[in-house]
Amino acid sequence: MGFYTLSYLCILVFILAAGYRVYRQLTLPIHVRWEIYPVQHETTDKLAHGGSYMEEVNWWEKKRESSLLNELKYMVPEILFLRGLWKENRGLWRVSFPFHFGLYLMIATFFLLLLHAFLTLWGILAFAADSAIRTLLDGLIVFTGWIGLILGIIGSLGTFYRRLADPELRDYSSFADYFNIGFIFLFFLSAFVACLLGDPFLEGAKAYTFGLLTGGHSLIPYMPGQSLPGGMAIVTASLLVAYIPLTHMSHMYMKYFLFHNVKWDDTPNRRGGAIEAAILKNLELKPTWKAKHVEADGRKSWQDIASSAPKEMK
Amino acid sequence: MNKRLKPSDIAKPSDCLCHIESGELSPLPPPYEDFNQATIPPLKPEKVKNIETSLDDTVAIGIPKPASKEEEEALVRQFLSGLKKLFEKENNWTFLQPLLLSMEHCAKCQTCSNACPVYEMSGRKDIHRPMFRAEVLRRIYNKYLKPGGKITAKLTGDIDLNWTTIARLAELSYRCTLCRRCATVCPIGVDNGLINHEIRKLFSQEMGIAPKEIHEKGTVQQLRVGSSTGMNPLAAKDSVEFIREEMEEITGYKVEIPWDVEGADILLLHNAGEMLAWPENVGAFAIIFQAAGISWTLSSEAAGYDAVNYGLWYDDVQFSRVAVKHADIARKLKVKKIVIGECGHAHKALTVIADRLLTGDLNIPRESALVTLEDIVLNGKIQFDPHKNDFPVTLHDPCNMVRAMGIVEPQRRILRKIAPRFREMTPHGVENYCCGGGSGFAIMSGYNFEAWRNLVSSRKKFLQILTAFQGEPQDVPKYVCAPCSNCKGAIRDLIRFYHAEERSRLYYGGLVELIVNAMANMKRPIILFGEEPSWKS
Repeated sequence: MGFYTLSYLCILVFILAAGYRVYRQLTLPIHVRWEIYPVQHETTDKLAHGGSYMEEVNWWEKKRESSLLNELKYMVPEILFLRGLWKENRGLWRVSFPFHFGLYLMIATFFLLLLHAFLTLWGILAFAADSAIRTLLDGLIVFTGWIGLILGIIGSLGTFYRRLADPELRDYSSFADYFNIGFIFLFFLSAFVACLLGDPFLEGAKAYTFGLLTGGHSLIPYMPGQSLPGGMAIVTASLLVAYIPLTHMSHMYMKYFLFHNVKWDDTPNRRGGAIEAAILKNLELKPTWKAKHVEADGRKSWQDIASSAPKEMK
Repeated sequence: MNKRLKPSDIAKPSDCLCHIESGELSPLPPPYEDFNQATIPPLKPEKVKNIETSLDDTVAIGIPKPASKEEEEALVRQFLSGLKKLFEKENNWTFLQPLLLSMEHCAKCQTCSNACPVYEMSGRKDIHRPMFRAEVLRRIYNKYLKPGGKITAKLTGDIDLNWTTIARLAELSYRCTLCRRCATVCPIGVDNGLINHEIRKLFSQEMGIAPKEIHEKGTVQQLRVGSSTGMNPLAAKDSVEFIREEMEEITGYKVEIPWDVEGADILLLHNAGEMLAWPENVGAFAIIFQAAGISWTLSSEAAGYDAVNYGLWYDDVQFSRVAVKHADIARKLKVKKIVIGECGHAHKALTVIADRLLTGDLNIPRESALVTLEDIVLNGKIQFDPHKNDFPVTLHDPCNMVRAMGIVEPQRRILRKIAPRFREMTPHGVENYCCGGGSGFAIMSGYNFEAWRNLVSSRKKFLQILTAFQGEPQDVPKYVCAPCSNCKGAIRDLIRFYHAEERSRLYYGGLVELIVNAMANMKRPIILFGEEPSWKS
């Protein structure tokens, strides 16, 4: 039960930490536009050269068009295959891609394991032993699991080596950067060894995931926690889940905000619209900057200050 | 010898943290090899004895040295107070979300470094990596403002905070042109250009530290007198009257330049620097608008005849004041839209950034002149004879119009119609390289900063221009079209510095000059290559 308690706690930390990060982003005041082109949701004719709706005469009189398809055509290869890194930093991509794709496959494996556990728990008839669906799901779990572990080991070793050997990266790396990669490597390695030595079909992982849904009840006697590498895999995986949202590795999902709320946030402010209402709220805020030319005293609002000329130079 | 520097080295006292040795700058091709051994001319000791110079070979701000240890400590406290404010919505709602996202998610992969022309051209000096200054700020923030930071700093990256760190960081924030090329290549979306912008802001808004060219002579002068050039409304009107007469003399075309026409369709905002340095640009706009039958006006109200908004580069408060002033002038004139002339940063300032500042009747539609011009040129409102522009032309893309606004094709469609020998630079469009004069550099020339700009930050652009004209005979005049005042300033200085008019017959100018030069009914050319007219009348 100790493993399960740890896993539950770590999942709770993940939910709280990731939730806090997302909540904070959603409740920050609207900021000034700072988009950078190409903006990938532009229409195809504009996107071809990185253009914007501002290339049109009297653009404010026209219906604004955007393309979700164009955005997806960019985002999917970016997320899955790190397209940007491939284009701009090929050497790093060679180690970073297996590292990230290994992690993605681990996440995919976890969701497949969850599906497996739910179907088992609900006693779905079509999911009976030897059924086609079960065979397919078992196969997928083995496939994503093994490929993910192998890629993850290659990727984390490669990333670690690259950070250590390349002075460009080494000079900017801290203990935490090495620790993060080492931590992830330890998870990949322990899970790999656990599977290699006694559980090639990831039956232990299935049983543990089932146990996560049932408070520790298991359908089979073998549990990964019974072996050292299996126990290590559970501990490191659980801790990783809790640890990632506490670090810059949260870029895994926070990238959404970096792109959608900054790089591609080109929504114009229309009179009487929601953006204008948010700006008016911001203009009521009272700054306390100390330079004399700002002339802030904690009582004047941004609106007051913006509509005055400075009396002081400095 | 390229000495490796880590972010923590910024705190270690020395006379010069980073020096560029002879031969370290990226090489230039013939006939410019004689510049390959050039170094930045040393600062004159008598001029810099009381200012901070310990970052590198140049000085952008000229921060006075603190008189005592106590003063140093007070400045460090002031810095920390400003840093805290960067993360408060009351003080920094304008950029809080982008700043937080970029501060918290950098993976230190260095992909940004290879995109930075200053880093590349400086001979790959560590201090010019886009993430160097960002990492310095991140470490200070994590260590000195986050709970338990002094303990976690040992694990996440340590740095000492002293006056040396701060003085160098302030100067270092003026070694980046804010071109944001680094941000376009970041796989995560981190924007080190933005972090640099925030560093400048902290120094200006909390400590009153900024280069005098962009603060005292820039925004302060614009708000007091009416223009960063120092021209008051009367002087501006005189200049334009002179331009009007000149235009008639040069081109044989009689032009009227309207002032303060209430209810005009367009309020045209020029960078007032054009009136003094490139009067033909102002005149060419007037000729085109008149020939196309457009209802337009200039404003003679203070700040209404100068589109610049230097606040964009260093100070949100000054930015807001200038933007509100511009919008208010347009509101009072009851124009249908503001059209921004050939000034890149004014484009971004008033069209994009001020969009989340101007509300109600101050939110007047704003449009790039390139778009207005495209409508005129491509829709047959004026007749052209493109063969008048029978010389090689290349186009410089101002970062603020292209990468920051997505205005890429209008200027190209114009050029394809009126300049038969137009060719692109490589790369161009949203992947362009900065002219090296971005973020105020073009107007900053104190101490030896102009030499630094010509040798380092503008070097990549110079290489691009030379490459674009490769294969053209030396004696053929070549035109660099730069539809932005600051870019033109930087390119003008480049041409002078490298003697490129004599060696390669390089000339530069705006887009409107090319348009007027190709107008079918123009009696004489507006573009001259030295004394030589660009076509025979």
